[in-house]
Amino acid sequence: MFDFVQGPLITIAFIIFILGILFQLIQFFRLTRKKEWGRLPIAYEMKPEKKTAEKILASCLASLNGTLWKTDPVLTVATSVFHVLLILTPLFLLGHNILLDQSCGWSLFSFPEPLSDGLTLIVLLCGVYFLGRRILLAKVRAITTIYDYVVWLIAVAPFLTGFFAYHQWFHYETVMLVHILSGEIMLITIPFTKLGHMLFFFLYRFFIGGEYSFLRGSRTW
Amino acid sequence: MNQTVPNQETKKVDTKKIKSLLNRRKGKMKRFLSYCAHCSLCAESCFLYMKYKKDPKYMPSYKVINSLGKLYKKRGNVDWKFLNEIKGIVWKNCVLCGRCYCPIGIHVPSMIAFARTIVRSQEVYPQLDEASPESWL
Repeated sequence: MFDFVQGPLITIAFIIFILGILFQLIQFFRLTRKKEWGRLPIAYEMKPEKKTAEKILASCLASLNGTLWKTDPVLTVATSVFHVLLILTPLFLLGHNILLDQSCGWSLFSFPEPLSDGLTLIVLLCGVYFLGRRILLAKVRAITTIYDYVVWLIAVAPFLTGFFAYHQWFHYETVMLVHILSGEIMLITIPFTKLGHMLFFFLYRFFIGGEYSFLRGSRTW
Repeated sequence: MNQTVPNQETKKVDTKKIKSLLNRRKGKMKRFLSYCAHCSLCAESCFLYMKYKKDPKYMPSYKVINSLGKLYKKRGNVDWKFLNEIKGIVWKNCVLCGRCYCPIGIHVPSMIAFARTIVRSQEVYPQLDEASPESWL
């Protein structure tokens, strides 16, 4: 069991993750088609205004008022930090990079261990905040199903078990096994569950958003 | 209720038509539905939610999940009772103002509009002679 989880299953998980994401991307573009008339002509050109530093800063601050920063600043910070650290922490963890170096001969830059430990703790705290919010707030509870708790567990479990493993709490081998397994489950489920918002966030927010604005729309959505 | 859907006593729900409509935009709509993180951050962007004392049933995500989401979940196998239930959601609880904001970028109005198309195909829509819009619910 341990050999399988530590060996072939890692490769299988990465292959499913990459192929799954590629499949979803291809499907996404197959669902849309190129506009018959091609690119729309530009009706008018805006003359660039001379901007001073204060003007830029003021417009940035004013634009924040129209975002979630105004309605829910705590969640805005928590969700931004959580999602950034969710990617960065495992990528630049010393233990992961040593394993990468041993198996592939190359590795990424590593954070100092106490820093990675602190970042993991921050991810876990954000996770607790999301769970609390899901249980306590009526508006979130109204659309919560058991599936949401499962997805929450899939996202948080690798960090929780990694934290336990680093501090050598409980039975180390078992914790490590669960840690590797939970990481693999996360990779496999990303393309096929709502964790897919990892990919589609960028497509929906920036790509389609861009198509409606500065890209002037080259596809039909 | 019978007054709002005149044919429902005699006419059967055309599930075949509903299914074909659902299949037509299945790829896009199912993606929208499945990537909704259920975060409820769209709530405050809906003026109806704010107006009705933050009642969760006016949240954009709640409206979509309980109309189009359920239609896809049931694969179009629905009855008049169900169509009348979502009638209130898609015609009354949402005015398609397009101001709802989703942090992931899901386009809620297109989904509600699509749900309207489906219920309209079964002649389920507000009637001008309805005594009170409250009777929809």
